[in-house]
Amino acid sequence: MTIPSNLISSQTMTWLLVVMIAGYGIGAVGALTLGRSLFVRAAATSGAIIGAGAAFILGSANLLSGQTLTIQISDILPITGFALRLDGLGAFFLVVIGLLGVPVALYSFGYSAAYEGRYSLRLIGAMLNGLLLTLSLQVMADNALTFLLLWETMSLSAYWMVVTEHDQPGTLQAGGWYIAMTHIGFAALVAMFLLLSGGDAMSTSFAAMRANALTLAPLARDAVFLLALFGFGSKAGVVPLHVWLPMAHPVAPSHVSALMSGVVIKMGIYGLLRVTLDLLGGGPAWWGALVLAVGTVTALLGVLYALMEHDLKRLLAFHSVENIGIILIGIGAGLIFRSYGLMALATLGFIGGLYHTINHASFKGLLFLGAGSVLHATGTRNMEEMGGLIKRMPWTALFFLIGAAAISALPPLNGFVSEWLVFQALLGGFNIPVPEVAVAFPLAVGMLALTSGLAAACFVKAFGISFLAIPRSHEAEHAHEAPLSMRIGMAILALACIALGLAPFSVVPLLGGVLAGLGGLPDTRSVFTLNLLVQAPAGFAQVSPTWIGLGLLILLALIPLVMRLMHVNRKRRVSDTWGCGRIGQTPRMEYTATSFAEPLRRVFAELYRPTKELSIDFHPESKYFVKSIKYSSRITPLFDRVLYDPLLRLIQRISRQVRRIQTGSLHLYLMYVAVILILLLIAARWF
Amino acid sequence: MNDALFSQLSTLGSSVILLYGFTLLWRKSLHAYTVAFQWQSIALTFLFLIIGYFGHDVELYYVAGFLFVLKVLILPRYLGKLEQRFPGERESRPYVNVATSLVVAGLLVLLAYAITRPLVLVSDLPTRGGLPLAVGLIFVGLFVIITRKKALTQIVGFLVMENGIALLAALGTYGIPLIIELGVFLDVLMGFLVMQVFVYHIHDTFESIDVDQLNELRH
Amino acid sequence: MIVTGYVLEIAQVALALLLAPGLAGFVRWLKARFQNRRGAPPWQPYFELRKLFGKEVVMSNNASWLFRVAPYIIFASTVTVTLLVPMIVAPLALDGMGDLLMVVYLLLLGTFFLALAGLDPGTAFGGMGASREMTVAAIAEPTIALAIFSLALSAGSTNLGRIVTQELANPAVTVSPGHLLALAALFIVTLAETGRLPVDNPATHLELTMIHEAMILEYSGRYLALIEWASWLKLTIFFTLLANLFVPWGIATTFDPAALTLAVLALIVKLAVLGGIVAVVETRVAKLRLFRVPELLGASFVLALLAVTSSFLLK
Repeated sequence: MTIPSNLISSQTMTWLLVVMIAGYGIGAVGALTLGRSLFVRAAATSGAIIGAGAAFILGSANLLSGQTLTIQISDILPITGFALRLDGLGAFFLVVIGLLGVPVALYSFGYSAAYEGRYSLRLIGAMLNGLLLTLSLQVMADNALTFLLLWETMSLSAYWMVVTEHDQPGTLQAGGWYIAMTHIGFAALVAMFLLLSGGDAMSTSFAAMRANALTLAPLARDAVFLLALFGFGSKAGVVPLHVWLPMAHPVAPSHVSALMSGVVIKMGIYGLLRVTLDLLGGGPAWWGALVLAVGTVTALLGVLYALMEHDLKRLLAFHSVENIGIILIGIGAGLIFRSYGLMALATLGFIGGLYHTINHASFKGLLFLGAGSVLHATGTRNMEEMGGLIKRMPWTALFFLIGAAAISALPPLNGFVSEWLVFQALLGGFNIPVPEVAVAFPLAVGMLALTSGLAAACFVKAFGISFLAIPRSHEAEHAHEAPLSMRIGMAILALACIALGLAPFSVVPLLGGVLAGLGGLPDTRSVFTLNLLVQAPAGFAQVSPTWIGLGLLILLALIPLVMRLMHVNRKRRVSDTWGCGRIGQTPRMEYTATSFAEPLRRVFAELYRPTKELSIDFHPESKYFVKSIKYSSRITPLFDRVLYDPLLRLIQRISRQVRRIQTGSLHLYLMYVAVILILLLIAARWF
Repeated sequence: MNDALFSQLSTLGSSVILLYGFTLLWRKSLHAYTVAFQWQSIALTFLFLIIGYFGHDVELYYVAGFLFVLKVLILPRYLGKLEQRFPGERESRPYVNVATSLVVAGLLVLLAYAITRPLVLVSDLPTRGGLPLAVGLIFVGLFVIITRKKALTQIVGFLVMENGIALLAALGTYGIPLIIELGVFLDVLMGFLVMQVFVYHIHDTFESIDVDQLNELRH
Repeated sequence: MIVTGYVLEIAQVALALLLAPGLAGFVRWLKARFQNRRGAPPWQPYFELRKLFGKEVVMSNNASWLFRVAPYIIFASTVTVTLLVPMIVAPLALDGMGDLLMVVYLLLLGTFFLALAGLDPGTAFGGMGASREMTVAAIAEPTIALAIFSLALSAGSTNLGRIVTQELANPAVTVSPGHLLALAALFIVTLAETGRLPVDNPATHLELTMIHEAMILEYSGRYLALIEWASWLKLTIFFTLLANLFVPWGIATTFDPAALTLAVLALIVKLAVLGGIVAVVETRVAKLRLFRVPELLGASFVLALLAVTSSFLLK
């Protein structure tokens, strides 16, 4: 589906860009300056909607018509100035930003009403617009300084939004971890761009880097790739750099969590693709193998830790880690295929990764917004205190169910299509001539399937315990449905999930267009689809989620009809739950989230190494009567145990040694300064 | 002819300025320090006028004017007030005693000569002879700050170092753009005011302006 | 031609729906005979369905709309799978609509909603059944995926029709080690996914041993009928997959009526044989402790992995 370029002129594109920036600007300024809190929220929301909507249209315009946009302003930044260029890859991510930005902005109108009086609504509104603005500009950055400037601003705006609820326990600590890890990544990115600039020419534009990359030594290229993987990986949340994600996403306001999980961590994916595929133009097979391995481990660890969580938002955060892993599996496979010249399969892998990006943004955004509604209604994130919400919050429950089904890759929703594409890319692994590399693919297939199954199990738990059965606490019993703005926000994303699932035949060609030309990939716009089908190359496989979805709908309508025609008994009586002879049913008799995950916890006990504390209080008269039982168990995540705790202890030890210099004497400090100064001068003079 | 005279005058002026800096190491009373700083600044003003005249740079006249107002009139007045507030304070037992200080100061000036030698060789300005002296003054000011215990001495040491930097700028490049010079003056004034406040605090906390007492704050 | 293809699809679905209760009844009857009992006749499940469709539904007052909708989703997803599985003719008219991966995920769709329906009434039985079911389903996934991989390797496609036609074209591939290992792995997975011993006992009503039964404990009337029928249909589908993907002879490749009749007969024979094997296995083994089931599935995973590597090496 394309629109001829003469219908959308470059002037239209520029105009859209102006509208986008103006929208965000009005939103931010309005939020900061208006008086009543209702106006503040309305200004922030409408500004963000205009801006994100313009971003979506701008991105779509590029994807559908191929019209690009280039802006160069020399005075704002030194050396090469502020440069923007919209190409296919950037346009795709712009669409993702817009797709998530509009519902999140709408949602925030209702959600931040609860913050009135407690936290600064102005800051939240302004930062929301600021974050969306930097995100939208980030994907168009065309030189290193612009990129880095926007990257830093994005991290900082995200930080300010994460620590909104600063008086809640754990928030500031989570913010601290976030800001520390994002800056470690930033340092890696600076080093990477320095290497890419080649050193001699002071040009930091991406065009110059592309040309320069061909002349870089292989060692330099490897270093650039590793730095990119580290820097962008820490933003995306790959294992072992993911520790900040399950800390920061739960404590942030829910629409911020949605935005962060849906878009901000995808900037890591964007950066990785931009540097590895576009600027460097691909590399040797071990690059792809490393990404594939990292992706597999990330996906598995993410889902395994998600299973053990009973904090709803922390569970969703770990699932974000898992899905980033899946995206990286697709990208890794693509890189490996590319290095062996199997271009069609490479494109398939990348398309799978990109499709999963937009899918994850929609269903994870939806799930976080749903979790936010639950938090808004019950005041708790703990699943063990929820239950029965499907009757009290029917719309939220429905939307959450759609999100849960989507993330479990159930057809005909969107999760299935992207996982299918990634699977097909992996299944093509037998074409690789080198058997040592090819053997990685079946393993990846197995791990991906396991991840997918565990994700489904986890979401049965998440939805089932939170929404079904009987309320487990007073708050859950008196929960109320979310306000209209929040419901509409969720509805938009639910529709997106359904649409992306039912119409892959139009999305896949667009993604093919995005990738055409990048890193030498061919134009695959018509290769992977056939009418309403999606297919793998060389006639390997074909599916049509569209037809399947249609079939399911027809059957769902047909079965009750047939049953009515056959005069099946249609009576239905509601009565007490079967109690095996007991009287009454209390919430204490229900399954809890912990008990639901117990079998899997046992299966993977070697990984989790749960600690257990059990104390039983016996009746003083007899050992056969128990007064109370106290059971507590905790799981420390693997990388916290193995990597971060020892690392932090080492840093503290070193700091204690360094503290010896700090004697408290002012004169000594001044002498340090003077001595260093003199030494520097001597060194400058004689060396 | 003109150049030779200029050269002589500038070197003479720089030496005078440096010698006043040595006074800080030799004398022990705060009043003496204030006076030394005041005369040093007067000499510096004259030097600026000379350089402005011989170097045909009108801006330096303005700088000289500002310098006079700030460092000869305003700052010594504040210093005098501080002196009155804490009468009888003397630098009785510095970390490095007077004799050794003077020797070290001499060595520092020699070091300054060694370091600035390439600069002097490269420069073709008539004022280049005074460059080592200016750098030496900076070192001396730094040395005063490090080895003297009383807060007031350290403040004066800082101001003397500041004079050294201004001298370096004047000799090396016939001064710096006016707007930057003004900025520097503002910084000096602000820094001085802040330090003044600190001195009051230190006195309130420790009943003395002995900076060494700050060690107590460590734990 | 195309119209015949679609008609055959519908006929195939009808056939599957007709055979499913019979197959389940047959296995049950065989087990009874092996245990020296008379057993209910093999057509007992048909009577059960008729009985259930005639009864009223009694629902828990804690359950929600999900409880009412789930049976339809489960039944619809399972019927959709029968549209994709070649039972009497290959390739099917709708073969391009879905491949093995689509089949796996459609079945997962059914399991997902069944588990949710188990949690809905808020009983401990339901929660327990849901928890165990999802554990088994999750751990069985890698095996299925790898078995698909090895089949796809030799056939050059993951679409079922194409796999069957490829095997008919070169029969030697069916006795290759890769295929046999994949068959063994998939057999174990079949036992797990359809709730047969040693993973789950379809005849039990003890909570310690229930998985599938626990989830549907609260269902009655037409809902229970739909769910039971869907689970029998799932059994039929798995048996058909085992039969037609590994022993494809007898399946019709044309729309010739003679070939089709032969295909129906061949299918019934294959299902009966497989039913017999399963009945023997169920009688011979005892039910595994729940926490030993992952070990069994792990063994099947290793078999599937070996299947894939041997297919790789022979390529």
